[in-house]
Amino acid sequence: MKKSAATIIREYGPFPGAERVNGVTFDGEHVWFASGDRLNALDPASGEVVRSIEVASHAGTAFDGEFLYQIAEDVIHKIDPKTGHILSTIPAPGNGGDSGLAWAEGSLWVGQHRGRRIHQIDPETGKILRTIESNRVVTGVTWVDGQLWHGTWEGDDSDVRRIDPETGEVLERLDMPEGTGVSGLESDGGDCFFCGGGGSGKIRAISRPAQGKEGKGK
Amino acid sequence: MDSLITAAARALAVGDALGALKRVALRDDAPALALRGIAMAQLGDLVRAKALLKSAARAFGPREAMARARCVVAEAEIALVSRDLTWPPKALEAARKVLEAHGDRVNAAHARNVELRRLVLIGRLDEAERALETLDPTPLPPAARAAHELVVAGIAIRRLQTKAAHEALDRARQAAREAGMPVLTAEVENAAHVLSAPVARLISRWRESPLLLEEVEELLGSGTLVVDACRHVVRDDQLSVSLATRPVLFTLARTLAEAWPADVARGTLIARAFRGKHADESHRARLRVEIGRLRAELRGLAEVSATKRGFALSPRRAGEIAVLAPLVEGQHGAVLAFLADGEAWSSSALAIALGASPRTVQRALDSLAGEGKVQSFGRGRARRWMSPPLPGFPTILLLPGPLPSD
Repeated sequence: MKKSAATIIREYGPFPGAERVNGVTFDGEHVWFASGDRLNALDPASGEVVRSIEVASHAGTAFDGEFLYQIAEDVIHKIDPKTGHILSTIPAPGNGGDSGLAWAEGSLWVGQHRGRRIHQIDPETGKILRTIESNRVVTGVTWVDGQLWHGTWEGDDSDVRRIDPETGEVLERLDMPEGTGVSGLESDGGDCFFCGGGGSGKIRAISRPAQGKEGKGK
Repeated sequence: MDSLITAAARALAVGDALGALKRVALRDDAPALALRGIAMAQLGDLVRAKALLKSAARAFGPREAMARARCVVAEAEIALVSRDLTWPPKALEAARKVLEAHGDRVNAAHARNVELRRLVLIGRLDEAERALETLDPTPLPPAARAAHELVVAGIAIRRLQTKAAHEALDRARQAAREAGMPVLTAEVENAAHVLSAPVARLISRWRESPLLLEEVEELLGSGTLVVDACRHVVRDDQLSVSLATRPVLFTLARTLAEAWPADVARGTLIARAFRGKHADESHRARLRVEIGRLRAELRGLAEVSATKRGFALSPRRAGEIAVLAPLVEGQHGAVLAFLADGEAWSSSALAIALGASPRTVQRALDSLAGEGKVQSFGRGRARRWMSPPLPGFPTILLLPGPLPSD
């Protein structure tokens, strides 16, 4: 396993009226983050929140190329970012113990916080297709270039790690500086991850290591 | 933090304890237990709240020191509000240090505030004031600031600094409004009530009347020689002599002061000070000895001179002499003074607060109960004592958020 310190490129927030960051996603232009009762679109270049959707948002956020998915209490809402309307709702696999959401390969990937695992579910029905065990509390999940990454945050310790999607084995680990936790994780599709900072109300951009970007191999 | 925990914590933060419970009622993981504990505390079931927070503290993992510390602070606050003074203050201090070390300033300040409230409650004002100096309330959120100002006001009230008390209460009122918490505003009003209700009685040759705190402060600053039966001291504006450990001398001083400028007959002094029905020669000899001692104690304040039929007091500097007496007189005044805060006390908590032995306190409570001045409920170790509610020390409950990863 490769292990290194995470490099923070930029910090955003805290934003007025948003005490916490519960989840983050990226739609190619804006970073969407869940702050409890709203989803907010942040322009990563200017650092400004450019719009908000009023919707319960207690944990992970994801984007499938067209729609937003947002965990609220024990369900996952599918939201049209253009209108802000909730299009459909499915049960969350962790019965509310859910934390972290990602879209990839036609599935939703849901972190289960204290359950220390990641579920792959059917985005239409919520049916669990597969479960990957992690050995740490999962807070935030993302896929990039065929790599599955997730955030962890237990007490003082927090990191962003790449795991083997088949076995759950940890392949690479970026340790976050002391006092910075990860609540929500999303890749920008390139060299950068956006990490939610929980109760700090901040979003941090960290760099993805240059090695091993070509596919999911060990 | 997971989804339902976040939702429940949000509900709690806006005072919706039932909404929080609804979301985590069936969960037994550590953060759920902690949230349920806090919700139960807000709903007033302090026994259940304590048990839940204790199990939450146990259930948090070894890496979650901060979450565990927040549970300990919440437990300490519940103990304080339920007047359980046997709860170990060292555990609270340790939890505060953990929170400070982790940069959780808000909850660390909350822990400090609970420590302060305990010190004020048990009358350790010097320690409370020293601790107060180490805390800057400016960066705290409104609710914590209001709680802090209530402590400042509590100390000022006990120090008889009415102006400072008014100012602190104004700041507390403002902060409570900012916090938007009606419970907190009510708590501030309740505390402010002390300033508009009589706290003692004045007995002088001119009048006998109830006094507001402000009037007590005025009296003590007026240059009058005051025989203070609330604190068992004799003082003017320059000097104060404590007779707290000399009850006979204090009774003599008070009897002489009440009669001033007249003198008091030996028989009356003997009856009041020694509870002797008849004054025989040995009583007269003892009175002479005690008057001699009193004369020595009060040397800087007043003169005790012999008259034909007894003794008389005359002030050295002051133009007047007055007696400041508690609203309710009688034995066990100190016990009553603590119970006057309207809370339910255990006899062991009273013993700690009074610095007396549990047996002494138990005897005092039994005799007060016999006179109908206090009442008890519960049995055995759960037994609690109360007096008819009088305005007293705030009982605000502002538990910290005991959540991990945050």
